[in-house]
Amino acid sequence: MALQRYTKSVDGTIPIQALMYNDEELISTQDGIGIYDGLQKSLDHQSGTVHTTSQRLFYIDATKKASRSFSLPLSHISKTDYYAGLFSSSPKVTLHLSLEDPASEEPSGFGSWECEVCAYRNPPGLSPSAARVCALCGVPRSLPAKSASSSASSEVPQPSIDSSFSTSASTSALPQRFRKPSSISCPACTFLNHPSMQTCEICSTPLPKASGDHTQAKSAPTTRPTTPGLNDNDIESKMLKLSFRKGGDKVFYTALKRSLKGRTWEITPSNAGTNGARSGISGIMQAVETNAQNRDTDMSNALQDLEALMVKAKDMVRLAAELNERLTASSTTTANDPYSSVLSSTPTEPEEATFIRSSLSQLGLQMENTPVTLDMMKDEREWMEQLARELANILQGSEKVSSSSSGGMMKKRGIIALDEVWGGWNRARGVALIPPLTFLQVIPHLPAFTNPTITSRTLNSGLAVLHTPPYSRAAFAARICGLLALAGPKSTTEIAQEEGITIGLTVEMLIIVEEDGDVCRDDGQSVIQEKKGDILVLGEVNWWANLFIGYTWDGQE
Amino acid sequence: MALSTHTTTTGFLLPSIHSAPPFFTQQPHPSSLSIATEQWIQIILKYSRHRRLFTIRVEDSETTGHDWDEVLRNERINRKVLPSYLSYILAQMVSQKLAAYEPPKQDRSVLIYWRLPEEWAEVLHEWVSSTGHLNTIMTFYEITDPPIESPLSGLPIPLLRQAITILSKTNRAQIIAIADGEGVRFFPSTGKA
Repeated sequence: MALQRYTKSVDGTIPIQALMYNDEELISTQDGIGIYDGLQKSLDHQSGTVHTTSQRLFYIDATKKASRSFSLPLSHISKTDYYAGLFSSSPKVTLHLSLEDPASEEPSGFGSWECEVCAYRNPPGLSPSAARVCALCGVPRSLPAKSASSSASSEVPQPSIDSSFSTSASTSALPQRFRKPSSISCPACTFLNHPSMQTCEICSTPLPKASGDHTQAKSAPTTRPTTPGLNDNDIESKMLKLSFRKGGDKVFYTALKRSLKGRTWEITPSNAGTNGARSGISGIMQAVETNAQNRDTDMSNALQDLEALMVKAKDMVRLAAELNERLTASSTTTANDPYSSVLSSTPTEPEEATFIRSSLSQLGLQMENTPVTLDMMKDEREWMEQLARELANILQGSEKVSSSSSGGMMKKRGIIALDEVWGGWNRARGVALIPPLTFLQVIPHLPAFTNPTITSRTLNSGLAVLHTPPYSRAAFAARICGLLALAGPKSTTEIAQEEGITIGLTVEMLIIVEEDGDVCRDDGQSVIQEKKGDILVLGEVNWWANLFIGYTWDGQE
Repeated sequence: MALSTHTTTTGFLLPSIHSAPPFFTQQPHPSSLSIATEQWIQIILKYSRHRRLFTIRVEDSETTGHDWDEVLRNERINRKVLPSYLSYILAQMVSQKLAAYEPPKQDRSVLIYWRLPEEWAEVLHEWVSSTGHLNTIMTFYEITDPPIESPLSGLPIPLLRQAITILSKTNRAQIIAIADGEGVRFFPSTGKA
């Protein structure tokens, strides 16, 4: 049963290569094969060669090639089993079969067909899956509509006489067919029985042998329209076994499994197009396109975040300005000064207001007037000067705001890195940001407007800083030497603490002083004993006044 | 901070700079480094003369229990010379001809010339003539290990060889091959300078 249902007879005299479709390829061959239909030996197929291709399994009989050879599409195989053989029984491979939607596999009119879209004549040599799409334009082939066709339409062109037959057609005078009909319609109750049935399943009337026609109307609705496969050998009729009488089973089985895994018959039209484009120029172009798309998406995402941030920053500046105004307003009302103006503040300003103002100015958010932009000033040089004035304000605060003259960003420290300054200044401006180049151009003008003068300096590592005079090269060196002379050798952390600057910055400054030859170093790596009892002697660099200069020998002569 | 000199257990007076921790660090500043290295070379030369040591190796800064402990380490201030620094100092000594890599073609151990080979040649000839071994054949062993303590005791063979070579240039010595190794014969100087 399985043989008949699932396989298709082929002419074995044709060599196997010619039997295959254009896109099918031969994977493995093995001779000395016997076929078991279900559990019984299929007598017609006991000695032959079996070929596995990427889409089908061919059995070519050794003796009667033409009549006993068949092919089995691999899509019908749902499961495979392997039996290694024992003593006299040979190894066997069991193929469990299932009929999966065979209608879609065999488009009507197997042969060359002309595509509707591009008028390309597709050759007949393609496998069923490939024959669904046009080879030139890739448009899927629209199958001619089937009018209530049966579950397995025949490949043979149907005689036109069939279509006119009604379900109650007589059994005699039927046109010749090459195959058994798929179902037999009962003359009494119109139920569509399995072709092998002798009596109707429902009403038990004897069935005609090969009656019915292909274009049958549907039978009276029942719970199931057709008989399922015969019950007694249900499982067996879905099984085919290959018996390897001359060995070669392992290799063949592996090849078969691989081919099954490949599932080449399931290629849908949409896959076929893109599969081929993985390599070659089109693949490269696709990859480039995808990359560009991804980049664009990422970029727009990132910029979205940035814009949101800018909106928030504007809000913050606005809030700071409002707070400032309110503070000024409240302080002037408490002072009860009729001539109050926004800019002047009285000494009786409450402490909290001063504190808030000074924190704002330290954060760089304080702006007394609107930021200076190019269009405000006519002359570029004048603009630079105004910018410098503004920056000086930011760095040092304004005398009018707080009582101490050193407010602003440089209130607590005399040395500050350039990137911090730039960030703070832009934050205070809020809008009309200053690009780095302009910032660098403004810096040389700073000393004119700052008191004490702020100058720029670049350290060894490339770090650029703004600093007040106490942190210039010479002044710093002098200070350090004085400290060492006074207090003896100091470690790096101690010096950093003393100066109030970060350790990294201290190290850089000290290295510069060392270059000038004013200090020498004592590296903690030279310690012999790293632990004295429980105290860990740190391996840090200590700095000494330079004792090598001017040293005279006072040891043994 | 006042630094003081220190006398070692073997009677060697260490200079005050030896008590300064920065002395044990290789200074990045070139002039400080040259001054410090100079002092180190002086210490090494004088100590080797004092203790009659002839070689120093870079390993001596990594290990303890040898003759150079007192100099390369200072327990009181918890500092020692690192091998990299010692290697640099030895290289400086070799370049100033105050030492030589021995055995040659490596840079881990040197022979210290706290007395130059020429000076050794003079001392050798002096001793040979004063002990009355002129015109006789002497083995190297006899020179380096005489029964009576001499200024040449413990002299390393390579240095001895160098001294003999110098003497042979002025015809005051001659190397002779004998059964057990090598021998040398000394001649009186002819009075020429």
